[in-house]
Amino acid sequence: MIIIAILIGCILGAIIGINGPVISYTYSGYLAIAIVAALDSVFGGITSVLKGNFELKVFISGFFGNAVLSILLTWLGVKLNVDIYLAAIVVFVGRMFTNLAIIRRYYIDKWSDMIKKRGGLIKSKKQNETK
Amino acid sequence: MKKGQIVMTVTIGIMCLILTALIFMQVKTISQTNISELEIMRESELRTELTSLKSKYDEVIAKIQETNEKILEYEEAAIDGREASELLQEELKETEDLLGKNSVSGEGIIIKMSNNGTNKINAQDLLELVNILKNAGAEAISINEQRIVYDNYIVDINGSSFISVNNDKISAPFTIKAIGNTSYLESSVAQKNAGYIDTKTSEGKVVTLEREENLTIPAYTGSLDFEYVKEGA
Repeated sequence: MIIIAILIGCILGAIIGINGPVISYTYSGYLAIAIVAALDSVFGGITSVLKGNFELKVFISGFFGNAVLSILLTWLGVKLNVDIYLAAIVVFVGRMFTNLAIIRRYYIDKWSDMIKKRGGLIKSKKQNETK
Repeated sequence: MKKGQIVMTVTIGIMCLILTALIFMQVKTISQTNISELEIMRESELRTELTSLKSKYDEVIAKIQETNEKILEYEEAAIDGREASELLQEELKETEDLLGKNSVSGEGIIIKMSNNGTNKINAQDLLELVNILKNAGAEAISINEQRIVYDNYIVDINGSSFISVNNDKISAPFTIKAIGNTSYLESSVAQKNAGYIDTKTSEGKVVTLEREENLTIPAYTGSLDFEYVKEGA
């Protein structure tokens, strides 16, 4: 059900984005930061789902809050002549990698569990234990 | 399905929509923007651009100065040339005036001569008059609007019914105009008894004299060309 919602959302979003207006280059920097922040929230959400502590309010507030906050920080950086957006990108992308690693480990674990259940290769089990 | 689940599904769908829409818009913007445009360049790029433009500007300024100097030179040369040509023009006009190639005006006298029965005016009379006027300092003379210049001839044709001046046949009455000092001109022809007018009148010809404050004598219309004369000794 959620997967269908995600797919519909993505397709509709793509259509809107392609047919939508072109943002002036000056503001596209802010938008890029917002996108990175939102993507970070998405991966964070997926991680929390896998961990079982997903909460919609936290996810939504993170999604929009991080985006707005990063835009504000970037704007402040422009005003202060400091590239604050670099810090935002480092933080967000770093967290994205962390979350991606967690997701990867989870699925690898699941996959190896599946193999074990099917009759199991002891080698792989041992490998898992040593890991 | 639980209510919470529906809310979550819809929310996540909307969020996906927003995110993908933003991503696509951003991609579109970036792909459509011309990176080399000045307004969207990064600061460092702008700095290098500015430096190169500055050096170019200096070069152009130097070139402009050079060109301006050249223009000044040319202008000076042109002014010199104009002066020379003006001088030449003046000289040419003076020479033409002297030759009688321009119409002239000034104070002078008008002598009218006409036949009286058998006493006809002949070329000798006109030649004599022209000579007298020239002697009295006439600067320009014309007979019946024919300018008298250095290579004129005045001869009788057909037993003096016509007189040829400048190859033009003219006949009486004659109007001779002369520009010069009016008093001298007048006295040269109007001497009592012995003078030209009285002499001709006594011969039975009709001669009248008029003073004129401002009379105009036309230009010589014929050509003044040498065919056999060559320059130099």
